[in-house]
Amino acid sequence: MHSPVLTLVLHLEEVLIVGAALFAIGLYVALSKRNAIGILMGIELMLNAVNITFLGFARMSVSEDPIQGHVFAVFVITVAAAEAAVALALAVAIYKHRETVNIDQIDLLRW
Amino acid sequence: MTEGLNLDYSLLIPEFLLVGLVVAIVGLDLYAPKMKKTWLAYIAAAGLVAVGAVSLGYWDTDDNFANIIVVDDYTTFFRVFFVATAAVICLASATMVAEKFRHPGEYYALIILSTIGAIGMAASRELMTAYISLELLSFSLYVLVSYQKFDAKSNEGGLKYLLLGAFASAMFLYGMSLIYGITGSTYYSEIAVGLQNPTGDFQWAMLMGLVLIVTGLGFKVAAVPFHMWTPDAYEGAFPPITAYLGTTSKAAGFALMLVLFSQAFEVVHDDWSWMIAGIAAATMILGNLVALQQHNIKRLMAYSSIGQVGYMLMAIAALNSDTAQALLVHLVGYMVSNMAVFIVIIAWYNMTGKDEIADFRGMRERAPLLAWVLAGALFSLAGLPLFAGFVTKFVLFQSVWNEGFYWLIAIATTTSVVSLYYYLQIMRQAFVEKPAEGEESRLPVPLLMNGLAAALMVGVLYIGLYPQALFDVVEAATDVLFV
Repeated sequence: MHSPVLTLVLHLEEVLIVGAALFAIGLYVALSKRNAIGILMGIELMLNAVNITFLGFARMSVSEDPIQGHVFAVFVITVAAAEAAVALALAVAIYKHRETVNIDQIDLLRW
Repeated sequence: MTEGLNLDYSLLIPEFLLVGLVVAIVGLDLYAPKMKKTWLAYIAAAGLVAVGAVSLGYWDTDDNFANIIVVDDYTTFFRVFFVATAAVICLASATMVAEKFRHPGEYYALIILSTIGAIGMAASRELMTAYISLELLSFSLYVLVSYQKFDAKSNEGGLKYLLLGAFASAMFLYGMSLIYGITGSTYYSEIAVGLQNPTGDFQWAMLMGLVLIVTGLGFKVAAVPFHMWTPDAYEGAFPPITAYLGTTSKAAGFALMLVLFSQAFEVVHDDWSWMIAGIAAATMILGNLVALQQHNIKRLMAYSSIGQVGYMLMAIAALNSDTAQALLVHLVGYMVSNMAVFIVIIAWYNMTGKDEIADFRGMRERAPLLAWVLAGALFSLAGLPLFAGFVTKFVLFQSVWNEGFYWLIAIATTTSVVSLYYYLQIMRQAFVEKPAEGEESRLPVPLLMNGLAAALMVGVLYIGLYPQALFDVVEAATDVLFV
């Protein structure tokens, strides 16, 4: 009469692979997009990859004080939000001038 | 968890005072609209000097706040360093900011906030605190660089700085998460313990973490190949902010690097030393060579500062107590000389509205004191005797040489000679070229600017002629890092 308990064991390696893949995708997006907002989205992906890695290590790695990793992730989320706010404000300011946020066309400053 | 931790808030009084100063400045700007706006600058500068005096009271303290923020001679040194820099910047921007911005209070508030971040980077002994401090500094700077809301160049410089800075932070964070994973802690001291017993599994993760951390910090101090934002942010920013970027932002990056690498990563010195040595070589060469073909003074100073970062990175690559001392000595010498150059650039921009190198022509006739300060400060940056730059560079190069990095010193001395060429280009305009037609008259330089320039020049000469006092202070400051 007992229902079979399905246990899903998550290993540290799997979490880290997801984190690394997400980081790589974010890196690719940040480097390949020409739109400032797109680049920002890539950076946000990288930051989320960082969170996954931190939480994975904090949860599954042998650590005496796992709270550090959790707290770090909370702070990263907060900082990412602040970053997005400043970046979007700047993007709006530039859009008012140039009617574009394409970084190839924002080229007043050149060496 | 909390028992046994030292939660002595009196250690952080200087930072609390700075926060109070921020609130007071913004409040004054809002609630005293009749007050002359230049007064905000003077109040900010006076407050910063007062905080510097309070910080001096912590000399010889050796205590920590909850193991995350340490108050020792190193922290005190950087507290005074950053506060003094910020005070000079506030004074230098007084007239310009009052004329150009409707709400100058926020401008000074952001400068002071970024100073708190910079101090935190030097004082923290834990990765998360260091990261939050770094972002406090960076975010304030992103906003300051793009502070001229209706100027397309300022916005563009700010956006580029922000996107690359955020990108660098993400790299830095990922590196930190890997280091946290293999050592199980974010405290520098525990990271050092964790790294002491490396196992084969962790070798690659550690190397990856170090690469990412070096990349992230390389962006912050503008080392080649992560320097792309520097010239754009420098040119786009308001001139006093350019000076601020070149001193506080860099010095804070080095303060963090010095603590991080000496406290946490010293046990794996061989694993990161070569990376930083390579970056240092590339930075010295590229910074100084590209500076040769600049025509805008702020861009030229950007590349010149990149070259200077290369010299300082050598000290990190060869990290020990001697090079750490030499690095701080050079930072102080560089700060004073660089500020003196920028005071002249700011004063000239205030009066003429121009910032191309060719616009400096005839400065000797139009503003003699500024011209002589410019000459002295540029000679100091190039490292000629009599001026601060000679002593500090000599100490730096010698200490790195003693560690066996002969090839780095060869590059450093060669590129120093190259740098003399572009510094002399500015001086040729100021001293040899005649002023343009109809612009021969003497310029009315404000007393404040003349005073600041002269004071900084006295500092340059003092360090150049009597460096012993600085050596003593710096020795006390770095001793705590290498016990």
